[in-house]
Amino acid sequence: MNNNSAKAGFLRIIVTMLLSLGIGALFIIGIGENPIDAYMALFKGAFKGKLRFGTTLAGFTPLLLSSVAFAVAAKAGAFNVGLEGQIFLGGIASAYIGINWTFLPKPVLLIVCFLGGALVGAAWGFIPAALKAYYNVSEVCSTILMNTVALYITSYLVSGPMSAGTANAQSHPVTVNLYQFMKPSSANVGIFIALALVLLVLFMLYKTTWGYKIRTVGTNPDHADYVGIDSKKVFIGSMMISGALCGIAGCIEVLGVHGYFLNNFAAGLGGNGMLASLIVKNNVAGAPFMAFFLSVLKAGAMGMQQSTGVPKALVDTITAVFIIIATMETLIQFKEKAKKKDKKEA
Amino acid sequence: MGAIFENLDKIINVSLIYATFRSATPIIFAALCAAITQQANILNVGTEGIMLVGAFTAVAVSYFTGSWVAGVAAAMLAGVLIAMIIGIGHIKYGADNCAIGMGVNMLALALTKFCLNVIFGMNGSFSSPDIQPIPRIKLEFLKDVPIIGEIFCNWSIMEWVVIVLIFALQYLFYKTVWGLRLRAVGQFPVAAKTAGINVNKIKYQAVAFAGMIGGLAGAHLSLGYSTQFVENMTSNRGFMGVAAMYFGGANPVLTTVGCLLFGFADSVGARLQAYGIPSQFVLMMPYIVTIAVLAISMAIKISTTKKRQSSLN
Repeated sequence: MNNNSAKAGFLRIIVTMLLSLGIGALFIIGIGENPIDAYMALFKGAFKGKLRFGTTLAGFTPLLLSSVAFAVAAKAGAFNVGLEGQIFLGGIASAYIGINWTFLPKPVLLIVCFLGGALVGAAWGFIPAALKAYYNVSEVCSTILMNTVALYITSYLVSGPMSAGTANAQSHPVTVNLYQFMKPSSANVGIFIALALVLLVLFMLYKTTWGYKIRTVGTNPDHADYVGIDSKKVFIGSMMISGALCGIAGCIEVLGVHGYFLNNFAAGLGGNGMLASLIVKNNVAGAPFMAFFLSVLKAGAMGMQQSTGVPKALVDTITAVFIIIATMETLIQFKEKAKKKDKKEA
Repeated sequence: MGAIFENLDKIINVSLIYATFRSATPIIFAALCAAITQQANILNVGTEGIMLVGAFTAVAVSYFTGSWVAGVAAAMLAGVLIAMIIGIGHIKYGADNCAIGMGVNMLALALTKFCLNVIFGMNGSFSSPDIQPIPRIKLEFLKDVPIIGEIFCNWSIMEWVVIVLIFALQYLFYKTVWGLRLRAVGQFPVAAKTAGINVNKIKYQAVAFAGMIGGLAGAHLSLGYSTQFVENMTSNRGFMGVAAMYFGGANPVLTTVGCLLFGFADSVGARLQAYGIPSQFVLMMPYIVTIAVLAISMAIKISTTKKRQSSLN
């Protein structure tokens, strides 16, 4: 039964994917271009050659973490739109540590960078979570507004106290880096750290008491309270885990991709992570695959824009259509039922 | 810091009243858009997206037709279309409010970017002298009256419209049959259904109406507040509107009070910038104020309901 529903879910995602690519094709035809050429260019742009594939992988890493971060919060019933702010602040924290705490030996410094990023990300996740748990403040509202606050805080820091004095607002280079294994692209070992973390989160969610508590609170907080689980604490905890994952994503971006803190570097990362998770209905195991699909779309978009006349904003349109169709729970279900009927009749 | 206290009279003076109202107006429109659907118990996270599409449509139509009226009308229509995605998705296909709302916001952002590329061949922003802005109403007879003249003599039409709209909605929600039905649908749909109200019909009407107001919000932003379209020009005003709606419990007048608070933070911040406060702090102020106000108002609400419950026992 469980296997069947997983199959149906998978099928639904494929149908949704094709549907949104089809709607995208209509847009491409609408502006007088050939959709097949455009999609081919998109595919090539994401995979052809070491640089392009490496860029896709580098873009995949933070998306992987942010999508799983969104899913973890969602498992406890939180709608964490604040991924982006948590990435920004996690990034700036690890940049600060990476630049200034040079008294530490390098391996220790690297670990401290990750811890610092995770801690600050978690703290930024704690604020809206506590406001929601104790004062019932909509976390959708507070997190999205806090994204802007986080952006301005980091923007102030890298153009003021932490500025490297360059034309672009950015910090001094950090003294520790993550090894880039596919030069000249910026794909780095952060991807393995991210994958390991995702496995850890999966284990935590489905094999530990904590994970059980999170899932119980997400399904029915009243029931959780009744059986003696402090639903408020668990809710806050899951948001903090979510924030920590985002903080680590920011840390990987700073140490692995850029080597310094670049102003506004995470624009769109949070939103896309959320998309990836929402499309698979916050399934932690499914989110990484969707994150990969989205990062292929994103990475290929540039190639498509360069070799055809299709602007890369089209890709954002496709992903937005994707999510809208995916959220309509009963839309595709209806079609599945119709298919089953057809089978029976045949 | 000293400079701020020395120039306090330049920061807080009569012109601040209009400045506050001016920067609050787009948020008031957004909050009213969110309030209408909230009365039917649909959290309108897509306000931001509805506004953005409205803003783009208004600029595009005003540019091509040379008529701001056509621009505003088209923006309202576009707002309804976008809102209907939320309506149909949520009411007919059981989509989660937050999820589909965020989806619509992303769609609006991408679609306006895409159209900006394709229609105008521009990246980032579009402005042109051919865009016909919404005119301002100059009340010449008030010009020489002290204080009142300074506050009222040069408002955009939309700023008068929003005032009418606030009270019209207040009347609509609490004094008309439709308003009663709307609130019944929002508070207890089963009872509403038993009373013979077509629940889904009312919900669709609320969403369409909210789309109109959201489109109007966007049109005001791109044709009244400024005369241009900029990518993501709503810059979370839609969410501030939703926050204000929470603050006011979807009551139009109370919601407006919340919006004015945010507008106040915005315009005081803009003035402080001249006295050496880093621009980033100034820019983040309305967002922080929004969160703080929301948190405090929700905390007060919870404690009053607790008190009420304890006196019942």
